Amino acid sequence: MVDYARGGEELIYFKPFFFLNAKTAQEVSIIEGEENMNILKQLRPVFGLVLLAALILAACQPQEIIVTQVVTQEVEKQVVVTQEVEVVTTVEVPAEPPPDMPIGTLVRAVTTFPNSLDIPQTAERQASTTAWNIFDSLVAFNDAGEIVPRLAERWEVSDDGTEYTFYLREGVTFHNGEPFNADAVVFSWDRAVNGGFEYSYHWESAVSVEKLDDYTVKITTEAPDALFLSIMADNWGMIPPGYFQEVGQAGFDEFPIGTGPFKFVEWVKGDHITMEANEDYFRGMPKIKTFIIRPIPESATRVAAIQTGEVDIVTRLSSEEAQSLLGVENVKVIKYPVTRVYYIAFNNLTTGVGQPTEDPLVRQAMNYAVDIDAIIDALFDGFAKPAIGLVATSELGYDDAEPFGYDPDKARDLLAQAGYTDGFAMDMACPAGAYTHFEEVCEAIAGYLNEVGIDVSLEIMESGQYWDMEAAKELPPLFGDSWSSAVGEGYPRLNGSLRGWDASYSSWFDDEIDNLLTQIETTIDQKERAELYKDLQAYMRENPPFIYLYEPVSFEAINTRVQNYKPRSAETYDLFQTWVVEE
Amino acid sequence: MQRYFISRLGQSALLLIGVIILVFFMVRVTGDPARLMMPREASAEDLEAFREVMGFNRPLYVQFLDFFSGAIVGDFGDSLHFKTPALQLVLERLPATVHLAGIALIFALIIAIPIGLIGGFNPGSVVDTLGRGLALAGQSIPNFWLALIFILFFAVRLRWFPSFGRDEWHSVVLPATVLGLPVMGQIVRLTRSAVLEIRGEDFIRTAYSKGLEPRTIYIKHVFRNVAIPLISVIGVQFGYMLGGSIYIETIFSWPGMGQLIEQSIGWRDFPLIQAIAVFTSVVVLGLNLITDLTYAFIDPRIRYGSS
Repeated sequence: MVDYARGGEELIYFKPFFFLNAKTAQEVSIIEGEENMNILKQLRPVFGLVLLAALILAACQPQEIIVTQVVTQEVEKQVVVTQEVEVVTTVEVPAEPPPDMPIGTLVRAVTTFPNSLDIPQTAERQASTTAWNIFDSLVAFNDAGEIVPRLAERWEVSDDGTEYTFYLREGVTFHNGEPFNADAVVFSWDRAVNGGFEYSYHWESAVSVEKLDDYTVKITTEAPDALFLSIMADNWGMIPPGYFQEVGQAGFDEFPIGTGPFKFVEWVKGDHITMEANEDYFRGMPKIKTFIIRPIPESATRVAAIQTGEVDIVTRLSSEEAQSLLGVENVKVIKYPVTRVYYIAFNNLTTGVGQPTEDPLVRQAMNYAVDIDAIIDALFDGFAKPAIGLVATSELGYDDAEPFGYDPDKARDLLAQAGYTDGFAMDMACPAGAYTHFEEVCEAIAGYLNEVGIDVSLEIMESGQYWDMEAAKELPPLFGDSWSSAVGEGYPRLNGSLRGWDASYSSWFDDEIDNLLTQIETTIDQKERAELYKDLQAYMRENPPFIYLYEPVSFEAINTRVQNYKPRSAETYDLFQTWVVEE
Repeated sequence: MQRYFISRLGQSALLLIGVIILVFFMVRVTGDPARLMMPREASAEDLEAFREVMGFNRPLYVQFLDFFSGAIVGDFGDSLHFKTPALQLVLERLPATVHLAGIALIFALIIAIPIGLIGGFNPGSVVDTLGRGLALAGQSIPNFWLALIFILFFAVRLRWFPSFGRDEWHSVVLPATVLGLPVMGQIVRLTRSAVLEIRGEDFIRTAYSKGLEPRTIYIKHVFRNVAIPLISVIGVQFGYMLGGSIYIETIFSWPGMGQLIEQSIGWRDFPLIQAIAVFTSVVVLGLNLITDLTYAFIDPRIRYGSS
């Protein structure tokens, strides 16, 4: 520093010492004085902070009032919830009549960014449900979960169950005016099968798709495939051949075109997707003019945005968040069961070989040892349903049997019968951050098992590493997970988690289960299949391959101006029937 | 000056190569993208086919050379999750992030520098005390928490600002304020202490004693010296903010790079993670280089020191 000071001003360097004026001296003393600041001065920034904290508290004051309101409304809330459940399960009589023309704007907040609007490329549920507003399949699910005609007017199945003849609806056009016909079906299938997409295999259940005439196609499956139509309804979005060949895959990703109730308008990446009503839609005009999808990853922000009216529908709320929205003006909370089942899996293929859990009595005992109801009450405010048999409530062949229930004495008896009077020790693992409150669920289970003498050491692992180890069958003999299914049946979940070495995420094999699953696969008749599911569930109660946990409940909140909106258990929705009331 | 510039440029290039190597190998210890991207029901053959298509079954060094030769010319491959070129995805998000970071920085500077200067020239004054309290609060309040409080208060309760998104001109106010506060705190403290320190220097005393106007002393001698540490902090902080503030962008659903980072990591999107990391490194290194050059411009000691 001295060097620099000398640099330009060396000539006058010596003068200051003689002319050291009073002002500078004062200032110097202040600076030096600072070094010996008394305690009061040292506390000044603290005072500043206290003052600031007071300001912040003052600013938060109105917020605290809200909190106390929430508490006082607690009793009223419970009533509202049961009402909302009824609204979803019974047929809602809309308060406002539907408009004749598409009007208004509906904004739906989703929790993650759709990766693509091209159905075979959509990576998760919220992307595909968004895309389905633009596309149609030959068949569709209705609100009751039944398969109904969509782009096909009707279809016939051959006696051996492998040949489907679809008679297509005539006069349907894509958004660009291209006609929908048998060529479009053949082209859509061909493109998806040969596209090398992650979800191409959903189209591979058909080995050939042939055009018989302009409005008739024959689709052949390799073997009778009970889930063929369900998978078709959930995956086979029809695309226009002429347009696709003209713009290519990249152009189609940029601007998708289908036959659906809404036409693609624009996609501002990371911000929003806009669609507008397809007034030429073959089922009639949609009732909403503009439909906007907005990703809001943070759930607290979703809760804020529904309150301010910036969005009309918010999804995937926790029970706490749903509760906080009850009684808010212009907001209605919707609750519905999700077709997902949580479980703690056993292992009889790798790490669990030779362990006490190979004995079905021990596995039963562990089911009796866990108080699922208490876990559901404590962690989900009671909003979840105890699971039994890995078939979800709304799925085909659900057996309404009693869950095991909490009976620690019976658990100890069963353990004694199996020869483990003194209990045993076992490792358990669960993924972190993958599912709501799942870490706490696992900790609770470990605690319950400890109470009946099973010394469980639980490891909570990062989910990416966890899935890798699960797929490699290297997880401890007890591990937690969950599995959803969107086809109206539990088959994908059962097949994926119980098919032994043949299934990536399974660590369990049982001849009887395998045998029943094979029968379910090839039986086309719904009633027979439902019976097979029941047999399987009965068997899986006696020989549980899991500690059955719960089926979760999903909460959405909608603005009260939204009419006739019915989310389904697979988190799908048909916006064609929904409308908004304009103020 | 030229030599200084060239040596700094060389250092930056070396650092960048280091970053590329580190990023490539670090993302690969996090898990198998085939497992994560393919549906749970997918069979072993499906998985193998996917690895084949994506090139994940090649030896690691082959994958690295492939990546490195592409990265040098700005080709990071297609995002696994979004199916479009990774660099293009990053560039699409850049304007939103620059917008947010720019406003946040301007906000921080406009408030912080005057407070810091006043505090430095009048230590112990009311402004100084409040300013230091504010600085401490800005630096110590967790900003994801503050973001939620701001949304509840200013968006839900008062309805002054939108609670999320980037639709309106004032959408940026809440996220920029939250993002700018810690920087503001840091700059207040830095400015204040720099002023205090420089005021006590011999050359200032000299300036006073030779009869210079206090205003001239402040502007010519004090500010110029305060500017040096300030510029270095501003450069670093701006680079940091441009890298995308993951929390703030996610909470406010701001369509910038921070959100893209969160998404790309969640989906184990190797090409996208790599593109973001390398791109951010280039930006940060570029800003550091500019910062260094600005120093040299302002402070002759740095300019001539190396020769």
